[in-house]
Amino acid sequence: MQKKISIIALICLLISVNLHSGPTYQAPVLITSAGQSADVKLVGMLVKKAGIEHAVELAATEKSLAGKKTLIIVPGFSSKGLGAAGVSAQDEMNRVKALLAAAKEKNIPVILVHVGGSARRYGQSDQFIQEVGQYAKAMIVVEQGNEDKYFSKLSSEKHIPLMLVPKIAAAGEPLAQLFK
Amino acid sequence: MKKNQINTIVILIVVLIIDLIAAREFIKMRYPEALSPASGLTEVRPLSCYNPYLKGGHGDTDIYIFDSGKPGASVLLLGGTHPNEPAGFLTAVLLVENVQVSAGRLFIIPRACQSGFSCTDPFEAYPQFYHVETNSGERRFRFGSRVSNPLDQWPDPLVYCHHPSGQKLSGFETRNLNRSFPGRKNGSFTERVAYGIVELIRQEKITLAFDLHEAAPEIPIINAIVYHEKCEDLALMVVMNLEMKNLEYAPELSPKNFHGLSHREWGDYTNVQPFLMETSNPIQGRLRGKTNEALVRFGKSRRYQEAQESGALRIAYQADTGESLERRIGRHLQGFKEILAVYNETAAEDTRFVFSGLPDYHELIQNTLTPYLK
Repeated sequence: MQKKISIIALICLLISVNLHSGPTYQAPVLITSAGQSADVKLVGMLVKKAGIEHAVELAATEKSLAGKKTLIIVPGFSSKGLGAAGVSAQDEMNRVKALLAAAKEKNIPVILVHVGGSARRYGQSDQFIQEVGQYAKAMIVVEQGNEDKYFSKLSSEKHIPLMLVPKIAAAGEPLAQLFK
Repeated sequence: MKKNQINTIVILIVVLIIDLIAAREFIKMRYPEALSPASGLTEVRPLSCYNPYLKGGHGDTDIYIFDSGKPGASVLLLGGTHPNEPAGFLTAVLLVENVQVSAGRLFIIPRACQSGFSCTDPFEAYPQFYHVETNSGERRFRFGSRVSNPLDQWPDPLVYCHHPSGQKLSGFETRNLNRSFPGRKNGSFTERVAYGIVELIRQEKITLAFDLHEAAPEIPIINAIVYHEKCEDLALMVVMNLEMKNLEYAPELSPKNFHGLSHREWGDYTNVQPFLMETSNPIQGRLRGKTNEALVRFGKSRRYQEAQESGALRIAYQADTGESLERRIGRHLQGFKEILAVYNETAAEDTRFVFSGLPDYHELIQNTLTPYLK
């Protein structure tokens, strides 16, 4: 009898481990910018290298979320990027806010990936980071962008897991791990 | 003679003497500095070969050609598009005086806006010259204007209407070479120069083209590689590779709706893959403090250090070393080398560009400019 109980308990344990060891995040992934910097393209390259099914849209909207299971947002302000998109900084912020709200409504988890280092920090970049940080379930950040512990504080305040990497190329590994 | 007549004559003589001294100082800037090209130089060709309307004029700048005689890519490098950005010009000079090309051809225009080297910008208190120590003594270089000399193109319209896009900019920009591409064969003085450069790209079938610039530390597009969308994959790979070498560059996609710039118009009107690189130059900034030759040469500004420490805005300024010419030229050289290295990785053997003789960023910081400028 005890042996039967032990076997049943072991089977239950194995099933529960299996259930909880599935990927936290799922493909297909939508990758977009918050601030229109070209960093979103770098992240697209990393995700492609990791073999994760994805689409990159610089100015994604709610419609872009159709069929997507995870949203990766790459914050970083670029005046050239905004000029290329023909939008103002306020237009861009409105788009990002609407997209995040839609993702929340559809239960699509958000990952914040910041690879621009100190070049994509402060001023308007931080405003975009703050907005995305309200919704992010995980953050992957190149260390140079966290020299003042900005992301560390955000992680602590919002209880968001933070993965710091030394270089852009190193961000691929934690990204791949999130989808395993 | 009455006393007031004598006074008038004395004043006139004094004014004439001052004018003559000032005129002599202004005219000094009209003489180009001599360059000492490396042994691989095969030809110096005037830009008027690509636009006869430039012939013999102040826009007819020299193109230094290094033809290896072996199959390979043709590459163009521009310095001095804005003559008040010394690192762009001096990077081109360093290449002229050191590069060895073993496959392909290299076209270097150190003074793309030759006219702009003959004056400085009014109200900026820029020095006319700066000096660099070399193994053969001190060399003097001109610190020019951002735009063509108004003696070569005047007057400025109230509104500059870019050809052919119709984009409207401040009238001052009509003399800005980097707002004039693709240019016009017989347009304004600056448009003719722009046209000549674009024709060079077309006729010589240039594969990759570089335009080297600098900007104030407080502006957003700084320490950046600006690229046309057709070379995006290459640019992004370069940014990642440079980061592995501890050199951060921000990738910036050339906006499709901002016309006249090299990274936009070269890519739209020719088959070339264009890149524009920016470094941080404190003397161009609004917070610079004392504006003198030392600031050009060593890029050390207490005001920028204070601004950076205040955290009020993002400043691209290296507080411990300043933004020396070595650092700025080193960044341009490293970007140039890395872009070509990544290009060569996927190019067929007979379309690669192979070269040597140039220091990398760390060598330049360690050795300074002295051994590399003849």
